[in-house]
Amino acid sequence: MTPISLRILKALALAGAASLVLVACGGGGGNNSTSLASNQTLSFPILSDFGTLDPAVADAETDQEIQQNIFDGLVRFDQNLNIIADLATAVPTASSDGLTYNFTLRKDVTFSNGDKFTSKDVLYSWNRAAAMQGAYATNLSAIDGYSTVSTNKVSGAALETLLEKNDPSVTLKGLTAPDPYTVQVKLASPAGWFLTAISLAGSTGWIVDQNAVKQDFDNWWTNPATAIGTGPFKMTARVPKQSVDFAAVPNWWGSPKPTLTKVHLDVSVNDASTAITKYEQGGYDAVGYGGYSSLPVADILRIQGTSNEKAQLLLQPKVRTYWVSFNMVHDAKRQAGGPFLLADGQAAHDIRLAFALAVDKTKLVSVVCQDIVCTAATGGLIPPTLIGYMGANQDPLAKFDATKAKQLLQSADPSGTKTKGLTYTYDPENALNKPTAEFLQSQWHDNLGVDVSIAPVSHSQFIQARLKGAYALSRDGWQADYNHPQDWFDNLWGKFVGCPDSGCSTGYDTAAYDTLLAKADAEPMPAALADYKSLNQMLIDDVVYIPLYYSVGSFLTKPYVKGFGSNSFFDHYWNQVQILSH
Amino acid sequence: MLSRGTLIYISQRLVLIVFTVLAVSSIVFLGIHRLPGDALFNEHLHGTQYELLLHHYGLDRPLWDQYTSFLSGLLLHGNLGESLVNRGVPITPLVLRELTVSAEVGLFALVFTIGLGMLLGVVAAIRQNTWVDYLLTTTSVIGYSMPSFVIATFLILIFAVWLDNFTQGTFYFQIGWTGRFGTIGEIWLPAFALGFPYASIVARLTRASMLEVIRQDYIRTARAKGLRETVIMVRHALRNALIPVITILGPLVIGIITGGVIIENIFGIPGLGKEFATSILNRDYNIVIGVFTMYAAMIGLANLGVDLMYVVIDPRIRY
Repeated sequence: MTPISLRILKALALAGAASLVLVACGGGGGNNSTSLASNQTLSFPILSDFGTLDPAVADAETDQEIQQNIFDGLVRFDQNLNIIADLATAVPTASSDGLTYNFTLRKDVTFSNGDKFTSKDVLYSWNRAAAMQGAYATNLSAIDGYSTVSTNKVSGAALETLLEKNDPSVTLKGLTAPDPYTVQVKLASPAGWFLTAISLAGSTGWIVDQNAVKQDFDNWWTNPATAIGTGPFKMTARVPKQSVDFAAVPNWWGSPKPTLTKVHLDVSVNDASTAITKYEQGGYDAVGYGGYSSLPVADILRIQGTSNEKAQLLLQPKVRTYWVSFNMVHDAKRQAGGPFLLADGQAAHDIRLAFALAVDKTKLVSVVCQDIVCTAATGGLIPPTLIGYMGANQDPLAKFDATKAKQLLQSADPSGTKTKGLTYTYDPENALNKPTAEFLQSQWHDNLGVDVSIAPVSHSQFIQARLKGAYALSRDGWQADYNHPQDWFDNLWGKFVGCPDSGCSTGYDTAAYDTLLAKADAEPMPAALADYKSLNQMLIDDVVYIPLYYSVGSFLTKPYVKGFGSNSFFDHYWNQVQILSH
Repeated sequence: MLSRGTLIYISQRLVLIVFTVLAVSSIVFLGIHRLPGDALFNEHLHGTQYELLLHHYGLDRPLWDQYTSFLSGLLLHGNLGESLVNRGVPITPLVLRELTVSAEVGLFALVFTIGLGMLLGVVAAIRQNTWVDYLLTTTSVIGYSMPSFVIATFLILIFAVWLDNFTQGTFYFQIGWTGRFGTIGEIWLPAFALGFPYASIVARLTRASMLEVIRQDYIRTARAKGLRETVIMVRHALRNALIPVITILGPLVIGIITGGVIIENIFGIPGLGKEFATSILNRDYNIVIGVFTMYAAMIGLANLGVDLMYVVIDPRIRY
């Protein structure tokens, strides 16, 4: 080998490397201003593609965060979670018997394809949603005739045919339209939660355009040409699992008129840390939105330590509560058994209470959440900002009293045989669930002397098994669907949800609970609140759960993005967002 | 021009690939349905509503019935069904698009693997027992000792984070994938992360092979004839040294294809590898089957390609 040939090789290698780096690298930078940028495009990632944008069957937070900008309901939540008029001219009040609501519709509303919005669209959307039986079909369950429509088994084009001819099998009896701009809703029985349930964004109470839907009954929303709503934005392009683009609807009927001209969702990045890196490079304007507000704790800590990015971080308490559930019923269908059964009386009650008091919730929040991504659940099951929150430190199950816990356990299980061989089961997909399980295990060991095994089970399998009563001790939690306590107490305990044997984590069902729940559900809100708090007190008295924490969402937003943020429930609407010069 | 024997060989292999793909997709179909849990069940959707959805996707039918529908859809229409998680998303066009993305990254990774590996190997052999050799050999050892996800994380840290900070955002690797096909700027770093461990193996192999070849009599003869050193190395030494390298190209290509599962997730590349991980976690049966089917086809075709390269490199080999 001559020196010349080596020099050639070296030169080639260096030139190759240099050209690669030059080709590959880009630029960035920015400053602040109060004037609007010429490019009004908002770009942010969602860490997984949405499941559907069809309000009749949507059931994921991401779906609803997007849908709230494309569709409308007759009523919706404002940023403070108050119910306000949307496609209706005003929020209606119930008749004196609590059974009838009359909605007067706005006359200036059009769908993004130019179709006029009338009462016919409300009837079509709600009948369709009730007949399709998606996850949130029960939001319409108070309407007279729902029990008939909910038995529908017809789907697809055949269902469209039935809907077009107003077939009684798919028509809610209590839903009528006296004229094109009036909708009358008659409930089967009083339901104080009805208006709140139909306010849920992107869900069964929201309105679709029959002309668009009937072109492809199941998948109309996948095609920008038929993904039509009355909202301020419309879909313009979609590459599944890669990106979705939305554009502002020209001359939109509502207000405020959107300033953004385009919203670009990147669906290609699944990893939150990668998304944050791209945000820091200027590749996104925001991160954490669209239902992915669980940014990694390590990244949040790092950002909090920076001078320039710290102000871009928003930590927002969200409407999710986590707790531990006991299996409280053992029968032919619920196999878990265990020492926590309601039928075993005071001794089982004391064991449950011992397990609850033995957990130091303040330390849990510090160890598991670094005091950042969750706060101790001391105010009952319903988190702060929601109706039904009991107030800080009002839940006695949230207290930590290792001495009392030990005493209770010794009197209820002196030999330790009842609590031997227990397992706490959790789903590891949520990054906090494993450290929580390990923390609980150590607390029960240290403070009670009880050795509890921990067992991870994949989320889908875990939920299926837990709702069948397969676990004596398990991770549990709930994210509010709407701002009403009925959402919690109907869906988690008592015979309404199917307890003890169907769709019920604990099996908890007592006559007193069911009676009070039925009364509360029928009452309008101020009167119902006391009853719902009594229901939470019943759960406390019977030690049905061990409260752990309320979650805190984390968001990053560039300083030049004005108006974007999140309340405890949902992201701010896109038509309130502006991009400033930068 | 390919000989008749080679054409027959290719035809036989293609038929074998078809059967292999069918076998793989069938095994995955039957296996995935045995996994506990599914894509449709959740806290809001259970009971009658859940049963209706199962019926909608035909998941309440006997497994054998579902299997025959799947097979007929695949064989007659190339139809792999519809995603269970992302409703209305047909799987065949989805995985075909993702296949092109993965293939793009994989091809670049292969270029890195072979190009960089051979370059390092040749240089190390030529400069045996010098600091150049020691440096390149050490680099190779580091390369094949480190898993690709560790390399990827370091590369992101260096090129996407530190370089961005150091140059005040004027010069860095931008994470992501913006179009139907990636740009060089989006591909080079993930391709390097994917290919570097294998490049290290190629470098080691090339070095050893070159050291053996350059001591052969015909190399000495070539030098005695007065040929230039570059001609001797490239035309006489390297070509013969390539044969052992080509033999590991098959498993190497498979490694690059499957290695994409990790790299695509780390770099946010919307390819088959990222789909592989998310669809399994989501229990999206139809996509899992589609992804495995594509992987089987891709690996079968890549192996065939490697086998055909033998013919080009070594004239003694005939099919």
